[in-house]
Amino acid sequence: MYKTMKKITIIIASFLFSILFFDSAIGLNLSIFSLVTIGFLMIYNLEKFKNKTILLHTFAYILSAIFVFINHSSLAIIANCAAFFTLVGTVSQSSNSIYVQWFNGIYTTVAGFFHRNFEVNEATQKTDWKKDIDVAHWAKLIGIPLVFIILFILLYKNGNPIFNDLVSKINFDFINLQWILFTVLGYYLFSNISKPVHVEPATSIDLKTKNELHQSDDFSEEQLKKEKQLGTTLLGLLNVLILLYIATDITYMLTSEATTGTELSILVHNGINTLIASIIIAIGIILYFFRGDLNFYTENKTLKNIAFSWIILNVILIILIAIKNQTYITSFGLTYKRIGVHIYILLTLIGLITTSLKVLKIKNLAFLFRRNTQAAFIVLITCSAINWDSTITKYNLTKAKSFDIRYLINLSNRNAVILNDLKNTLDISQENKNRIGTKYRSHMLDLSQRDWQEWNYDFIANQDKFNTTND
Amino acid sequence: MNVPANVAKSSVLASVIFWGIILSSEFDLDITPFVLLSYIPIFLCVLIIIVGSICPFFWSAKGDIYTKTQVFKMCFPYYTVVVFGLCCFGIYASNYDLYFTAFFISAYITTSQSWVWFAKEDTK
Repeated sequence: MYKTMKKITIIIASFLFSILFFDSAIGLNLSIFSLVTIGFLMIYNLEKFKNKTILLHTFAYILSAIFVFINHSSLAIIANCAAFFTLVGTVSQSSNSIYVQWFNGIYTTVAGFFHRNFEVNEATQKTDWKKDIDVAHWAKLIGIPLVFIILFILLYKNGNPIFNDLVSKINFDFINLQWILFTVLGYYLFSNISKPVHVEPATSIDLKTKNELHQSDDFSEEQLKKEKQLGTTLLGLLNVLILLYIATDITYMLTSEATTGTELSILVHNGINTLIASIIIAIGIILYFFRGDLNFYTENKTLKNIAFSWIILNVILIILIAIKNQTYITSFGLTYKRIGVHIYILLTLIGLITTSLKVLKIKNLAFLFRRNTQAAFIVLITCSAINWDSTITKYNLTKAKSFDIRYLINLSNRNAVILNDLKNTLDISQENKNRIGTKYRSHMLDLSQRDWQEWNYDFIANQDKFNTTND
Repeated sequence: MNVPANVAKSSVLASVIFWGIILSSEFDLDITPFVLLSYIPIFLCVLIIIVGSICPFFWSAKGDIYTKTQVFKMCFPYYTVVVFGLCCFGIYASNYDLYFTAFFISAYITTSQSWVWFAKEDTK
């Protein structure tokens, strides 16, 4: 009875899946699907939903669903998918690292049905085999006669005009086979996530791997001393070098007057390239020296201090790049690439903080991976909360010293309303004003033609404008 | 390992899924001869994919202590996620063309089911 009820739940969910997504673009449907998924997972795994980690990931998934409705951007959709996989992976095993949860989530979603063939006890397995034989038998019973009937219909069709007319009148248009296949896809999806599975041995290895480093029994003090000397010399020299670089960089920033977009662009991009190389090498060297027993060596204080000072100097380097990027933005406006640089800077900063925590609290490499991937996930969800097209347009037209109107017009339709509202206050050519008008009208037309599954916040906010625009 | 039986079952499955998807969109009785003829290239594709990408996993573990079920549990998750990613990319790159979509969906389901059939030989 309980099993039948659960099967009915999957069937209802798969019908909902088809109603929401069949022949529809993304919009309100993805937000509703997220809520349906949460409800569905709760029905099947009610006990697990008392776990705080699962509740936290459920909250993140709901947030991402709201952001899809409000912003309707590709980034919000990607964040929603990532949150979906994370939640399914967390329900599968809540104590894992987030990257293992992602993998478990993806695996459950795409192949849970195939995996569950081997997750049954002996008794059920025997029944399953009987079922398999039945399936094969039924396939033969239906498939073979069907093939021959179709073959003979084709042969007889050419031999007799009345029979040909009769066959031509057969019309299956009332059955939407694509809709049925789509529902089957929904059934497959919900059946997969109903009982999340996990990948072994990756999951158990990850669970066994702790964040702390442990001192080995057979370490040689002589060896550690040599390693410490090498580390102190290398990091000390690198400290001097980066200090020199920062000093020259500050001098250049204070004395030079880079005013053209190209000059500032070269400054920022060169800085970013230096930053990428510097941070990767910095983290690599620190990880190498603090990979094992040197963490427990009593005379490692100097090396630790030098490592911390190098991290701090790298943070200063990051701040300098951020200042250059901000100057570039203030002068020439926001673009996706410039925002990307700021996000990269933020991620690098987080990477350096976690590296210093690793050294300070004697953690291992797994700790770094876990914290950094968690941070990346949080950054992804946070970034999806912002309507970037609208933010870029608003900033460039109201705050930046200059702007590229063609770039703004070529952005997605999510800035059409704000561009149209501000077009008469801007010093731009009539041609560009016309292009903005065309973009706005096409956006309004697109909004007015949407089905309820494709609705989003933009649709609700601009409903009153449809009629006036279309007239 | 019963490779011929697996290839035969998998090619039938691939044909059914491939033409099931296509006929659900454009149903025409006149293309039935092509449906039947297409079994030959589908069979060849399935043979190449199974012998080239699935069998090596089982063959490499033949002399070892691993059973087929263990090989399945150890390697299938990574294989299926990679194949799923490639198939999704293929569908996207083909601009959601019906024939390519049908091909990639049938390829994904067939390879996954083929793994299950190989692994289930243990329990027979």
